[in-house]
Amino acid sequence: MSTQDQRGEQPESADGDTTDFGFRRVKRGDKEQLVRGVFDSVASRYDMMNDLMSAGIHRLWKRFTIELSAVRPGQTVLDIAGGTGDLAARFSRIVGADGKVILADINASMLAVGRDRLIDEGVVGNVHTVQCDAQALAFPDNSIDCITIAFGLRNVTDKEKALRSMERVLKPGGRLLVLEFSKPTNPVLEQVYDTYSFRVLPLMGKWVANDSESYRYLAESIRKHPDQETLLGMMEDAGFVNCQYHNMTGGIVAVHRGIKA
Amino acid sequence: MNHDPAIIAGALSALELAIARALTLAPVAAKELEDMAGTHIVIECTRPEIDVTISIDEAGQLQLKQYSEEAVSTRVRGSAEDFIALVTADDPAATLINSKLEIIGNTAPLLALQAILSKIDIDWEAPLVDALGDVAGHQLAKFLRAFFSWSQSAGKSLRRQLSEFILEEGRLSPPNAELEHFYQEVGRLGLRVDRLQSRIQRLAKRLREYDQ
Repeated sequence: MSTQDQRGEQPESADGDTTDFGFRRVKRGDKEQLVRGVFDSVASRYDMMNDLMSAGIHRLWKRFTIELSAVRPGQTVLDIAGGTGDLAARFSRIVGADGKVILADINASMLAVGRDRLIDEGVVGNVHTVQCDAQALAFPDNSIDCITIAFGLRNVTDKEKALRSMERVLKPGGRLLVLEFSKPTNPVLEQVYDTYSFRVLPLMGKWVANDSESYRYLAESIRKHPDQETLLGMMEDAGFVNCQYHNMTGGIVAVHRGIKA
Repeated sequence: MNHDPAIIAGALSALELAIARALTLAPVAAKELEDMAGTHIVIECTRPEIDVTISIDEAGQLQLKQYSEEAVSTRVRGSAEDFIALVTADDPAATLINSKLEIIGNTAPLLALQAILSKIDIDWEAPLVDALGDVAGHQLAKFLRAFFSWSQSAGKSLRRQLSEFILEEGRLSPPNAELEHFYQEVGRLGLRVDRLQSRIQRLAKRLREYDQ
């Protein structure tokens, strides 16, 4: 089956009792477990694979996301699906000793890798690690200045619920930044990107991490993720205002920003 | 024109890294930059269309951002050529006044930053000695210093000789003083024409009044 055929075979997002897991439909309750399995499998080589798969460009996407966050010293930042903690490490330096960074992830393996890495890099004191579900954030209302979720939203079962949860915990005027794979704006780039995602990426996963299936899921989940305009609408529906997005690397990745009214 | 933020981020990241490396080898400049901590200068380049905020942090490190919400002390607008002319100018204050750069806010931080960056004195010998050892590192540094010194004086000499040839021998361009004199004459002529025009208008008005 071609990648184009695969792209259109399933309806978008969760409906009824089932939801998408890559190109498969699974029971809503099962997705969390399946996603956990994927990330348990890739956690130890996650950073290396990110560098390899994106040729290091993911650092530039994250750099721009941090600029857009406009976080200041003394603020509280929640990095959801923070994984191995590269955004948290940079935020830790920006907020300083008076601020706080919460590295949150639903996956214990990813969180453990992130926590160990931050300690190894000496990023301690103002960083706290919390295992929690983005759909039910265990934080008080109006308590966070900035929330970031980088390459995590597509793995969440109920994205609308997660966005509402983020809106709840943000302070009025606080901002949400969603960095996520999106839809390339150029058809030629889209073709090249499809070939790379479905042919090269699983091979890379097999050779480097000995796990082609997890990387196949990553490619599939990217295609099932809402495009730029759809995600923008979802953020507005969740209550965010002044929502906008910036395409990066030809739309392969987009960073969405919304403000809590 | 909208540029891809990832490309700009890559360029700024590389430049930031290069400046940070240079500053580790130039402790005097790094110390002077520390005194400017908290300064934010926005460079609005109109051609190509890119905005960059230069921020100086507590450690005296320069941060280059394409998006910032900090309160800026100085905002400078102009084309890439204007900015290059400012950075390479011997007299930045004069260049700033005479160029097409548009400045909003305080010019002092901009001139101070330009002065610090232009006089960065990099101690190349330290990393060479670290990498090659005391003797070889020192010898290579000595050779490089001699080479740079020779190329600088050769460059200056070449520029002077080229200028002499263009102005004196080839007569391809008028000398600067002659050009200045010509511009002043044109300016004076312009003023006289303006005065003459207003006198004609006054006379014409008086003539109309007389006819009525």
